[in-house]
Amino acid sequence: MLPSDDVVVSAQGLSKRFCRDLKTSLIYAVRNVGREFVGAPSRPGLGSGEFYALNDVSFTLRRGESLGLVGPNGAGKTTLLRILGGIIKPDAGRVRLRGRVAPLIALGAGFNPVLTGRENIWVNTTMLGISGRQIDRRFSEIVEFADIGDALDAPVRTYSSGTAARLGFACAIHTDPDILLIDEVLAVGDQQFRAKCYRRLAQLRRGGTALILVSHNPIAVLSACDAALYLSAGRAVLKGSADDVLRRYEEDANPVDEPRAEAELLIPRRESIAPVRIRSIGFKDPAGRALSCLTSGEPAELWVGCEADEPVGELCANLFVQDLSFNGGRALYFNSVRDGHAISVGRGPFTVRVRFPYCGMRSGRYALKFQLTDGRYYHMYDGVESFLFGVRSQTDMAQCRFYQPHNWEIS
Amino acid sequence: MGETVYSSESYLASPSAMIALMCRDLLGSRELAWRLMARDLSARYRQSLLGFIWAFATPIFMVAALTLAVDAKLVNAGNTSLPYPAFVLLGMVLWQTFTDALNAPAQAMIGAKTFLARLKFPHEALILAKLGEAAFDFMIKLALLAGVFLWFGVPVAWPAFVLAPLALMALVLLGLFIGLLLLPLALLIEDVSRGLGLATAIWFWFTPVAYEAPGDGLFALIVRLNPVTPLLSTARDLVAGRAASFVLEFWIVSAVAALGTLVAWAGFRLAMPFVIERIGH
Repeated sequence: MLPSDDVVVSAQGLSKRFCRDLKTSLIYAVRNVGREFVGAPSRPGLGSGEFYALNDVSFTLRRGESLGLVGPNGAGKTTLLRILGGIIKPDAGRVRLRGRVAPLIALGAGFNPVLTGRENIWVNTTMLGISGRQIDRRFSEIVEFADIGDALDAPVRTYSSGTAARLGFACAIHTDPDILLIDEVLAVGDQQFRAKCYRRLAQLRRGGTALILVSHNPIAVLSACDAALYLSAGRAVLKGSADDVLRRYEEDANPVDEPRAEAELLIPRRESIAPVRIRSIGFKDPAGRALSCLTSGEPAELWVGCEADEPVGELCANLFVQDLSFNGGRALYFNSVRDGHAISVGRGPFTVRVRFPYCGMRSGRYALKFQLTDGRYYHMYDGVESFLFGVRSQTDMAQCRFYQPHNWEIS
Repeated sequence: MGETVYSSESYLASPSAMIALMCRDLLGSRELAWRLMARDLSARYRQSLLGFIWAFATPIFMVAALTLAVDAKLVNAGNTSLPYPAFVLLGMVLWQTFTDALNAPAQAMIGAKTFLARLKFPHEALILAKLGEAAFDFMIKLALLAGVFLWFGVPVAWPAFVLAPLALMALVLLGLFIGLLLLPLALLIEDVSRGLGLATAIWFWFTPVAYEAPGDGLFALIVRLNPVTPLLSTARDLVAGRAASFVLEFWIVSAVAALGTLVAWAGFRLAMPFVIERIGH
């Protein structure tokens, strides 16, 4: 097969205008419909009060590839997804899609609250374009995936939002799509279900399904996507590997005003009502030298530079580490209060250090989330969403899931 | 693997492709329409104690009120072709079929607003499902009608069974034509859907539902110009087994309704992406 045959999404110069004012946008809508009726092409340029929700965006996607769309709110991510899903028309440009497109945008579209989950599966999957015979074959798979037990025969209105979303996701994911469009829906359900969703997505990708994922969660993008597209104010700012694009996005979100130290993330002073703020985060070796990469089995320390505006009595530090490799998931979670350390600090700067006598993680890419919360009520003071770091191993650890400190003794 | 292209070009730029797509979507939406109709009907009856008695309620009370009004000489029904209660009930059932078809497109779209903005599927299915619901209601009312006809011992001439469905179809098409034509505007502008509600209420009195179409005068002229008049009168005349009084008008309106529905359907498809854009999500 020629490489060009592999392209499943090819978008060229997509643009979309919107207008915030309701009355004016009504006039534009009527005019656009009028142009459509006479077969005239869409008018060029911006009218008064209009802005570009999407401005000249191009990209291609091949079979089995996955693209993460990142950017601040209002950057045009959802607009792009809606154009790809054929829900709205672009004002300029064109997009070519090969194969069946499944949007995971409307989980549980057409669910009727009075009917049971079982009955709603039929309506929902038909709405997603699956024929009755195919549903017959898939039905038990869907039920098994949703795993909602007896709730299946209860009216959907008695469901929790998580349960309804599980059912919706199960329906959408069993439609054999060639292209999956996902908009922030992986944040549903409990941890276990989310892990199941990611496993299913990985399985679909191995089968050649291409994936476009919109998420504000960098870890979701990093663990599900190879490439990413960074949108800002409708324009494509950067396109490239998910790592590079997310680093740039994180930098833009927290602009660095001091020269960036190796392997250390400096966070500028922000307006905040919280009495405690994080200023920097990074790994160091026992001698205090910054580490750009950890090594399995070697000691390392996480240094988190913070400052307090007032004395804080009970502070709790939370550390999450996510394994970004395929089938990764959560690698570590520490909580200082659970570990018996309620932190109490005075006014001024302080440093939280977490010492790893041995780095137990095996080689790979990881994302670290660090949060300072109130020790008693757990509301968050400040947090770092994703600090990316790598781990390498000196010996061959391909057969190990983690580093186990060990000695050999023969007697 | 099928290829789909979305571009800024108007669908009208290649009419043949658009017609092919329209036919494909109409055929492809049958199963979805069926499921949506089954969903809406079973949901409707699952939440109600009186169930399909509601389908009888409006016609029965209207018939009772009008019969009393005619008896009291408040309303002059003219020389009706059938015993008055049977006459007005038949008229009501026909009129309601027309208004059901008229309101079907807007009701279907408004009910589906949240997923219209998030999912691409043949929108025809929504309208077909609503029409199916209307057909179901019609069947229920037909049972009531049969009961009333038996009670009054009204014979039904056999041509009625063949020709009356034709007239009924024309009524549905006329309603659908107007409903589809106004749909984009009704979804964009609140005033249009409110105005349509008001217009329907007034329209009822200018349609020979509760009376026989009058001969002359200003009122008679308006009734004659009303496109529903020939369709409704013809259907009723056929059932009553008497010569239809608006034969030419019947065929003209039917043809306009049929062609108009096709054109309005195309217009609906062209307008929907822009309408959905404004619905938001």
